[in-house]
Amino acid sequence: MEATRTASFAERYGRRDFLKKSASAAVAAFGIARKAFAAERVNIGALYPTTGSFAQIGQGCVNAAKLAVQMINNDGGIKSLGGAKLNLIVSDVQSDTTVTRTETDRLISGYKLSAIHGCFASALTLIASEVAERAKMPLLTGSSSDLLNKGRHYTFTPFCRASQFALAQLQMSKLVSDTPKVAVIFENTAFGTSTSNGLREQAPNQGVEIVMFEPYSAGLTDASPLINKVKASGANMLFPVSYLNDLILIIRAIKQNGLEIAINGGSGGFVIPDFYKNVGGVAEGLLGVAHWNHDFDGDSQKVNEVYKNQYGEFLFEYAGGLVAQTFMIADALERAASADPQKVRDALSTLDVSSGYAAMGPGGRVKFGPDGKNIYAHPVGVQWQHADLASVFPKEDARAQLMKS
Amino acid sequence: MLTTIVQAVVNGLLIGGIYALVSIGVTLIFGVVKIVNFAQGEFVMIGMYISYFLAARFGVDPLISLFVSMPLLFVIGVLLQHFLIRRVLALGDMPQIFLTFALSLLLVNMALLLFTADYRTVQTPYSETAIHLGGLYVPIAKLIAFAVAMMLSGLLGVFLRITDLGKAMRAAAQSRDVAMLMGINPDRVFGIAVGVALALAGAAGSLLMPFYPVYPLVGQVFVLMAFVAVVLGTLGNVTGALLASLMMGVAESLGIQFVGADSGLIVVFAMLLLTLAIRPKGLFGGWSR
Repeated sequence: MEATRTASFAERYGRRDFLKKSASAAVAAFGIARKAFAAERVNIGALYPTTGSFAQIGQGCVNAAKLAVQMINNDGGIKSLGGAKLNLIVSDVQSDTTVTRTETDRLISGYKLSAIHGCFASALTLIASEVAERAKMPLLTGSSSDLLNKGRHYTFTPFCRASQFALAQLQMSKLVSDTPKVAVIFENTAFGTSTSNGLREQAPNQGVEIVMFEPYSAGLTDASPLINKVKASGANMLFPVSYLNDLILIIRAIKQNGLEIAINGGSGGFVIPDFYKNVGGVAEGLLGVAHWNHDFDGDSQKVNEVYKNQYGEFLFEYAGGLVAQTFMIADALERAASADPQKVRDALSTLDVSSGYAAMGPGGRVKFGPDGKNIYAHPVGVQWQHADLASVFPKEDARAQLMKS
Repeated sequence: MLTTIVQAVVNGLLIGGIYALVSIGVTLIFGVVKIVNFAQGEFVMIGMYISYFLAARFGVDPLISLFVSMPLLFVIGVLLQHFLIRRVLALGDMPQIFLTFALSLLLVNMALLLFTADYRTVQTPYSETAIHLGGLYVPIAKLIAFAVAMMLSGLLGVFLRITDLGKAMRAAAQSRDVAMLMGINPDRVFGIAVGVALALAGAAGSLLMPFYPVYPLVGQVFVLMAFVAVVLGTLGNVTGALLASLMMGVAESLGIQFVGADSGLIVVFAMLLLTLAIRPKGLFGGWSR
């Protein structure tokens, strides 16, 4: 064994060969060192609303994006590009669709970008995605709108889609009862009607009976009459499709009524730290759905700790997802060995990771289908427990026991 | 079925008590000073924030902060009358409307600036508890709010009928010129009327806090109902506003229960239109107090 190895070594590395190789190695090493010193930075665009009505979540996204870039740079940057550092260029899209269009344009034409991520809010992301598509600039987003997966080649959505949320919400009602009887109460707005219709359409296939389906006028003065109706319907699960002020009244009215009913508030504003801050203790035990949660694995917990220390609140779905997205971009850059957006796009389309920060989300693996949708993504069911958000559904993603409220 | 109806009536009465505090304030200012205060809801909001911050910072129960919010808003009311309302009284309707409307916008936007648009709640031991009677339940926070609201309305009624100041207020409401001829100082009377009205708004705010979240636009939710109650109960009539508020609370609750959760207000406004068609001066028209 020992002899053969020595022989093969001698065979493969003759003296001349050895000299040649060590010379080129020296050149390469020197080259890398020189390159690292002057390595071009790779520009990543970040489009987030840091002012206006979406600002709270937008600012969290920017914080998380900065954190992720720092992590990658501290780890040596993009090795195949000679250790090039990522450079985050943040642009405030001001929670406004017109501003989003011009800012996306400005960012793409003004900087040599390799990729963009943003804007989390669907209305804004749809526009940014259009502009990026025309400029042939790859865009990653945590937005859940299904429209982003139609006729686009440069938009990648690593997390579950809006249509999957309704399904998960219905399936979760089985956690509470084998024969779920669901009451859906929704505010009579575009948001309320579209979300509730999604739930109603999918309910029969999931064996979920909807016993009450009631619109109400947003801006309740008193939720007791509404809860009176829910009680009369005999439901054992409630899906309120509501904004915060109505939700607070609804939850309190249920507690006062003494009604034993589980509540699932869906996604979005329901699963961010602000929700608990605003609602307080009454939030304990409430269920929701998210596209990402911070207790998924060791990696996500580690990032969550760092983020929490820095910003005082847990890493919420959009922010956490953004850390993962930044690592997906880094992975693509690494494999493309180029900062050219077209090559980065191609590398993203063949991305397949199942470990590390890029894969730390429900499904545990990222691989994009032809429509830019991560084929492994699914929603995670969460519950508010002790001022924190714990994953409780599906079984393989559950990290905590379901708390009976 | 009977339980459901009784429960709906109870729910309606309880929230009607809060509507009453807001609408009595509006009708009092209108009756005495002859000015429509569009900013009344914003003073409810201020009352709520006072209670919220006292509870959040110092752990003061919202019901105890009643003793802070009411005097504070009374003083604000007196100052408001002295420095702003007094100046526009002789100018006619438009400047008066602009004044209170601008005040409303100013207060909302100042609250947005200072407190942000966040929803804030106060958790009290009685926020989520209720008394259960047979199939019925009565939330304690709302019951307390209702009882205090009724008590304050009663006190106001007694004040208006028995004290000299109250009588002067009613006199000024009936005819300002004659009241002045009788030696009543209208500035003083008006100042106290606005002060009392704002103190009631502050009381409404403190009473709401244990069960309702506060945010800068919260006043608008209640002021709409208050204005309907004021018109329904005849402008300027305190007892009318009280009764109309309770009726509206019940009508809204029954509407939600039996017509649809998005139709509660339809019932209320149908009631208003019907009343205006039959009795244009409101349910209690004819005698103004």
